Amino acid sequence: MSVANESRAEEHNMQEHHGAGRYYLVFGALIALTLLTYFTGRMHLPTFGLALALLIATTKGTLVLLFFMHLIDHKGANRLIMGVSVLFVILMMIMPMADLATRFRPANPAGSHLSDLPDLNFPANPKSSTYNRGAQEPAQPGGHP
Amino acid sequence: MQPSAHTAGTAPVPRLAAHFASLEVQNHAARLGMWLFLSTEVLLFAGVFVLYAVNRYLFPQAYVEASKLLDLTLGTVNTVVLITSSLTAALAVHYAKEGQNRKVAIMFALTLLMAVGFLVIKAFEYQHKFHEGLLPGHHYFGSVQLAGMPNYFAVYFLATGLHAFHVCVGMGVLTWLMIRAIRTPNLGPNNYTAVELGSMYWHLVDLVWIFLYPLLYLV
Repeated sequence: MSVANESRAEEHNMQEHHGAGRYYLVFGALIALTLLTYFTGRMHLPTFGLALALLIATTKGTLVLLFFMHLIDHKGANRLIMGVSVLFVILMMIMPMADLATRFRPANPAGSHLSDLPDLNFPANPKSSTYNRGAQEPAQPGGHP
Repeated sequence: MQPSAHTAGTAPVPRLAAHFASLEVQNHAARLGMWLFLSTEVLLFAGVFVLYAVNRYLFPQAYVEASKLLDLTLGTVNTVVLITSSLTAALAVHYAKEGQNRKVAIMFALTLLMAVGFLVIKAFEYQHKFHEGLLPGHHYFGSVQLAGMPNYFAVYFLATGLHAFHVCVGMGVLTWLMIRAIRTPNLGPNNYTAVELGSMYWHLVDLVWIFLYPLLYLV
């Protein structure tokens, strides 16, 4: 029963004539948000810069999904699919980072801030890794050539 | 005026497949299929974003330094170009619903023009990176020798390369739709599914860039 009803509702929403005005409105909002993220990005806000940039990007993405891709007119299964895949993206991001955060330090990649081992990509550069940072003159730069 | 109305001697447009109860259900199925496909695309790009997140977590300093080496102006111009191309793709659907086939073709032509512009700017950026030695892995010979820098550029080229590939595929789809709107101008209120789904693919390409732009260029 529900599939036929959903089809009808979706068809009705898509048929309803909106005029092109709302596309221009969304476009204006997207450009404004792009400028906002450009200027706040250039300020290099130390703590919440990344969070702010992601918040703006998510707002822009939601506008594109809802209005350009008509998710506001498509209900039910279509929204479920997109919602679930977004949820999976977030889960996939959290899990590997949780893994790295809880590893024993030597098990993390050398040169990273979660490791005490020297970076082997640029062994000659004392500033190359956290391991050597602060050392005035490393007597013997670690690692292989 | 009903451009998709059935006239004697020609096949009705759009055709209703025998296994669908009605045109409504057929259109719903087409959209659902497109959303399923787009969700696999989202998960494909999720792999790239996870790679970014993990490596940024490991090398926060290198990611901040490396993002400063990108050309922010070109990146921002490309963002505006892609958002504008999304607008014209959305307008194409609007005109397809109204049965204005010529305008559909014009809108897609504009979208394609901006897509070419995007790729040209991207090519200039790539050329600059090659020149400066900002390359993945052991190909890296950039001046900033910081742990995680080659890693950033591996992610950069993977993410923007995969995205540029999607731009090319999208251009193919939109070219086909543009030619179709010119050759068989039968788009109308009952027949615009192809335009709608092609346009959705283009919006996904825009959606991915909306996230790539701040992550690679800004923060």
